[in-house]
Amino acid sequence: MKFIQKLPIEARLNPSKHPVPTVWSEGGYSYRVQFECMASDYSILIECDRVDLVIEAAKKAIIEAWRIEHKFSRYQVDNTFSMIHSWPDVKQTLDQETAQLMLFSYHAHQVSGGLFDITSGILRQAWRFDGSDNLPSPEQIQTSLVHVGWEKLGWSPQSPDQLCLPKGMELDFGGIGKEYAVDKMLKLSLSIFGDVPVAVLINGGGDIACSGPRLDGQGWRVGIESLKADHTSDQIISLSSGALATSGDRHRFLLKSGVRYSHVLNPLTGWPVEKAPRSVTVAAPNCVNAGILATLSLLQGNNADAFLKSLAVPYWIYSERG
Amino acid sequence: MSKHFMLMGVIGITFLITGCSEMGVKAWERDVLAQQEMSLINEPVESSLNDHVYFSKEASSGGQGFGGGGCGCN
Amino acid sequence: MVVKGLEVAVVAVTKTMKKNHELAKVLAAASCALIGSLSTAHAEESWDVDSAFLLYSESDGRVSAAEPVISATKNYDSETRLNVKLVADTLTGASANGATPSDEAQTFTSPSGNGTYTAAVGDQPLDDTFRDTRVALSSNWNAPINRDWAYGVGGYVSKEHDYQSLGVSSSVSRYLNQKNTTLTLGLGAANDTINPEGGVPTGLFQVPESASSSEFAQRDDSESKSIMDAVFGLTQVVNRNTIMQFNYSINTSSGYLTDPYKILSVIDDDSTGNNYGGNYTVNNRNLYLYEKRPDSRLKQSLYWQTKHQFDNNDILDVSYRYMFDDWGITSHTIDAKYRFRFDHQYLEPQLRWYSQSKADFYHRYLDSSAYTEVDFASADYRLGDLDTYTIGLRYGYQFADETEFYTRFSLYHQESSGDDGYGKLTSQELYPGLDAAMLMIGYKF
Repeated sequence: MKFIQKLPIEARLNPSKHPVPTVWSEGGYSYRVQFECMASDYSILIECDRVDLVIEAAKKAIIEAWRIEHKFSRYQVDNTFSMIHSWPDVKQTLDQETAQLMLFSYHAHQVSGGLFDITSGILRQAWRFDGSDNLPSPEQIQTSLVHVGWEKLGWSPQSPDQLCLPKGMELDFGGIGKEYAVDKMLKLSLSIFGDVPVAVLINGGGDIACSGPRLDGQGWRVGIESLKADHTSDQIISLSSGALATSGDRHRFLLKSGVRYSHVLNPLTGWPVEKAPRSVTVAAPNCVNAGILATLSLLQGNNADAFLKSLAVPYWIYSERG
Repeated sequence: MSKHFMLMGVIGITFLITGCSEMGVKAWERDVLAQQEMSLINEPVESSLNDHVYFSKEASSGGQGFGGGGCGCN
Repeated sequence: MVVKGLEVAVVAVTKTMKKNHELAKVLAAASCALIGSLSTAHAEESWDVDSAFLLYSESDGRVSAAEPVISATKNYDSETRLNVKLVADTLTGASANGATPSDEAQTFTSPSGNGTYTAAVGDQPLDDTFRDTRVALSSNWNAPINRDWAYGVGGYVSKEHDYQSLGVSSSVSRYLNQKNTTLTLGLGAANDTINPEGGVPTGLFQVPESASSSEFAQRDDSESKSIMDAVFGLTQVVNRNTIMQFNYSINTSSGYLTDPYKILSVIDDDSTGNNYGGNYTVNNRNLYLYEKRPDSRLKQSLYWQTKHQFDNNDILDVSYRYMFDDWGITSHTIDAKYRFRFDHQYLEPQLRWYSQSKADFYHRYLDSSAYTEVDFASADYRLGDLDTYTIGLRYGYQFADETEFYTRFSLYHQESSGDDGYGKLTSQELYPGLDAAMLMIGYKF
């Protein structure tokens, strides 16, 4: 891999002040653009003989990823996320993109019987998954649960851009934001090439989407981490269409009296899902789809494997027992 | 007319010396030129208001784009 | 507490398991809807609006104008956009009618023929019936054809009480050299109709005393002119901080190009008489003639512009235009702007200098011994030798939500020159200057 150039992006399009992305050559017409987003390493792999278009596409994709990151970040003061939360208890009009994300979240909430709930982010105020043994008290959890529950939102699928957010509640798009960004990056970067032959793969910190096989007709070689320290269970698979997404707890857990509490919280109880797999990777036509299936399977706890089987999608699961 | 051709000659030479194909930047060096402020007409509303004033007060118009007009003021 | 929570969860899981197939289908459809909706949900696809208000005021209570404008641009992507612009302007005040000042008070017939206005001894003759409101609507569409080509089309319509204009334009651009060079060919066509108050006067004919004169009776109601434009442009990226443009344009007008409200004084050039240099009279009436211009004009111009951004982010924008036409007018224009950029603000001083030489048929006045021999004549100072200067300052403030407030103040000065006449005329101010102030206030959102 040979370093070619830095890829400077205007400061106003880099609101989170990430380092300058870099462009690398992997030989032939194969390029890799690396950058940072949502606290992860992102890379864009493009095969095309028009380097000017490669750069243009990468730039467009990076700007888009950073835009989404900033828009829905919980740590910014002047973004859509903070705007929504600064008007509790009144009817507000959402922009179209946020409305679409609400609509998706609604469907995911409905079909999961309430297990997927973007209002549950607030539970993390009680649960701090820092590897310690500090469990919250049942009172703390009950206090948080008052502000959790999709059905408490003043929102309906008939008018998805109208929202009344009860005071104290929080919408957390973090659970789908990364996958959404990957899909959008792929779509936007492809729009640059027109009828020029091209193959693109977006890797957003392990969540992956590709445009199809590589230019030589082979699949992309993608590693699936087992999360085990010795990587003995790592697998290399060949991806020639669609997307992959991984959900897992990595290092985010609590350990008390020999019980490992994963960071996957059940929004109905406020408690971590017991016996959830360490990590699940699912393949689906797009990254948002793969991501939601991976997340929902974790929420099934012990039943994750059976759940994934019944979906008839390719998946890779790693549980505590390895 | 000789004056006109001379002027064209001067500008033509500038291009000959540097050579168009040797000028320019790579795609990833467009960060500065991509700024809205660096577009040739970066304030179109101001430009059109000014052009309108000059069109109605002077005998020349246009040059940068079309020749203005649509006004009985000249 | 824990046990109860788990029971709820187990119930939920069991319910979900039964619907897993439906679940997969719903989520696949919902995710496709989300991703598929991207093309319409994209943030760049909003309207960018630039609204501004211009106040224009000439000294000595001559023309003043108020001009609101609203321009909305929809960006579909970096190269595809639609712009719609609406401009209105209202003019009031008085403008020079072309006659010379005199050592006697002068009375002029108003354009409609239904009244008169006067100029006192030594005063510039100003037509104070000047008043107009104009509304103009224009629209432009620009889009790529493919990687190397782009096109644009546009149209406008404008309406005043005595003037209508309808125009269309189109352009095609070719990108070369990795988009560092752009060649553009633009074509435009417009058709204007003028229906002056009182009808279309006869060129070089004596201004009659009133509308009851036979000259009024034979007038047409309206005239028209057509305009064709062609622009050939070359835009070149010079380096990372510099871009340059070079345009050649040609513009032809044909039809009625005369200003129906402008007249000329005929001056007595009999150096033996005691009215030498005074207004020439026929039947005890001062002789004023309607102006008359050729019915075609071919203008050509060369335009060069360079923009450069310095290491401190300041931007210099310099342009030069050379124009010449077959009326004998040549002009030079130099325009320079320098934008000091700060974190959320900018300050932009501007300077412009313009100089033109007179049209062949420009005459400040006509001689009584020769006025019957001219084919064309106009005393419109805008066709005479003229220098103008603009000095301006623009300030802008960009808010955190990417909206911008801006204001610009500028002073405009005109200086005319020409021959000073003879006899009594030499004591008159034939080439008065003109000063105007402009204030623009705008908001982009």
